[in-house]
Amino acid sequence: MRNKNGFSNLYLVLVFAVLYAPIFYLMYYSFNSGGTMHEFEGFTLDYYREVIQDTRLIIIVINTLVIALLSSAIATLIAIVGALAIQRTRSRRAKNSLLSLNNVLIVSPDVIIGASFLILFTIVGIKLGFVSVLLSHVAFSVPIAVLMILPHLQDMSPTLTDAAHDLGASRRDVLTKVILPIIKPGIFSGFFMALTYSLDDFAVTFFVTGNGYSTLSVEIYSRARQGVSLSINALSTMIFLFTILLVVGYYFLTRRKHRPRIAEPVAELGVPR
Amino acid sequence: MKQLVNTFLAILVVAFALMYLGSWMNSNEGYSGSNTLTIYNWGDYIEPELLKEFEAETGITVIYQTFDSNEAMLTKVEQGGTTFDVVIPSDYAIAKMREEKLLLPLDHSKLPNLVNIDPRFMDLSFDPGNEYSVPYFWGTVGIIYNPEMTKGMNFDSWDSLWDSRLKNNILLVDGAREVMGMALNSLHYSVNDQNEAHLQAALTKLNKLSPNVKAIVGDEIKMLLANEEAAVGIVWSGDAAEIMDENDKLDYIVPQEGSNKWFDNMVIPRTAANVDGAHQFINFMLRPDVAAKNAEYVGYSTPNVPALKLLPAEVSEDTRFYPPATLTDRLEVYDNLGKRMLAHYNELFLKFKMNK
Repeated sequence: MRNKNGFSNLYLVLVFAVLYAPIFYLMYYSFNSGGTMHEFEGFTLDYYREVIQDTRLIIIVINTLVIALLSSAIATLIAIVGALAIQRTRSRRAKNSLLSLNNVLIVSPDVIIGASFLILFTIVGIKLGFVSVLLSHVAFSVPIAVLMILPHLQDMSPTLTDAAHDLGASRRDVLTKVILPIIKPGIFSGFFMALTYSLDDFAVTFFVTGNGYSTLSVEIYSRARQGVSLSINALSTMIFLFTILLVVGYYFLTRRKHRPRIAEPVAELGVPR
Repeated sequence: MKQLVNTFLAILVVAFALMYLGSWMNSNEGYSGSNTLTIYNWGDYIEPELLKEFEAETGITVIYQTFDSNEAMLTKVEQGGTTFDVVIPSDYAIAKMREEKLLLPLDHSKLPNLVNIDPRFMDLSFDPGNEYSVPYFWGTVGIIYNPEMTKGMNFDSWDSLWDSRLKNNILLVDGAREVMGMALNSLHYSVNDQNEAHLQAALTKLNKLSPNVKAIVGDEIKMLLANEEAAVGIVWSGDAAEIMDENDKLDYIVPQEGSNKWFDNMVIPRTAANVDGAHQFINFMLRPDVAAKNAEYVGYSTPNVPALKLLPAEVSEDTRFYPPATLTDRLEVYDNLGKRMLAHYNELFLKFKMNK
């Protein structure tokens, strides 16, 4: 038994090493005064200064955050309604087809989604920029959020809503006092999933940005074609540290509440990308 | 429920606060305003100072966006969506845009500085009479080589590439026109040759080159050559200049049989919103001092004659990048061969790649 444990620990360490090594490699060279990722010459904070002084880059970071927050919030709202509608569908066949359609959108290649959006927006006459990026991010986030919320709806016992009805709750009360609190974990995981999708999406965004409006992934890509400048390393380091801070903060917040958390079955399910 | 609503509101508040911050920074930087000019150019293809200078002189705010290939640029311009005022595509892309009626004719009376452009680079096949385009930078396709690794070999002729000493030591750029053109040139045919027998001969000759070819690569060719991964590469002169900047051991030459000369020209798309500003910008870029400053930063060859005098002699007298008329006359621009011929070129190139 011990032996087996030792092996699995080793395996875990390996997996994490593979996952984190590139990030630490990148962080290490963000302090390189040599200007390249070949040799480490000396310590410098020049690239961090460069990032902070680059207003265009900061604006792009802000754009990215705004898009991520807004799009995942809107997508989650739509997904709640969508998941409820799918759950309510009586016919098994219709339900399955709706679910499959939802899944097709998740596995379909981003490039195709992006190209279709580009064509759609230009036909409809929406100017490329903030609105087009927001709309497409909402669109590709909805199916993911639906998938996160649906299992919670399915786990919910129908007797709960029946009981609520019997006790005289209005439809609205059933929704706000019974259903939503129960599926709350799903709503949050849906929101955070959508958030990460939106933050790192390149393929779709690439097609629908325009008029000087850009997000971080697109900007880094176009800069990388000229060779990756170390200021990108510095920026990545800052974003990485910021994310870690958020995660640690979240961890302590949840710990303080001393609430035994129910294991979320969905959280363990990977979503195909 | 309450927690849900609160969280949602908090998210919205944060998002809108960020949005406000973003637009505040935008207006502080002057990115949003009514008098703007949107420029769509290759990545890192202009001296950033010049944009500021232009803004200061005209009061027009420049929105600068970049693309990485003519094809990407074409898609964006064709789709509309964004209104670009000045775009800087390459020669064949200009021919295509002209054909598809994507361009506005230039008002030459608004471009007095056009006289600065070398007549050699005006009125070319992709845009007769420069009705739609004005030269920005130009260059050639040639051989970059590492004298240390090739031990005194002479690359005056394309044929030198077939030398068995170069076994597995040549990098080709992944372009059908470039590679086929090189083979056609080595047989003393035109880079625009449409004769089937000539094309087949070129393919046969290319196949014989296979043992020497190490790889056919894209943009990474610059890094590979600078790191001395191969002794010889077929590249555009602009890339060559960049590679030699990083590794000064290397040298560049345009073989005597002839080659391609390429152009990146400024055009105004039909959808442009600020046509007047676009003309002002083009005229500004044609000013000798501006063109010289730009050429110094970008490192490509400027077609601007008075600008040459402002450049350091070691640059303007470098015949590798500013070849004399005797050589440039022998160089050809890629003609627009039409869809079918182009597909045939691609097919032959693919056959060569598969044989490799």
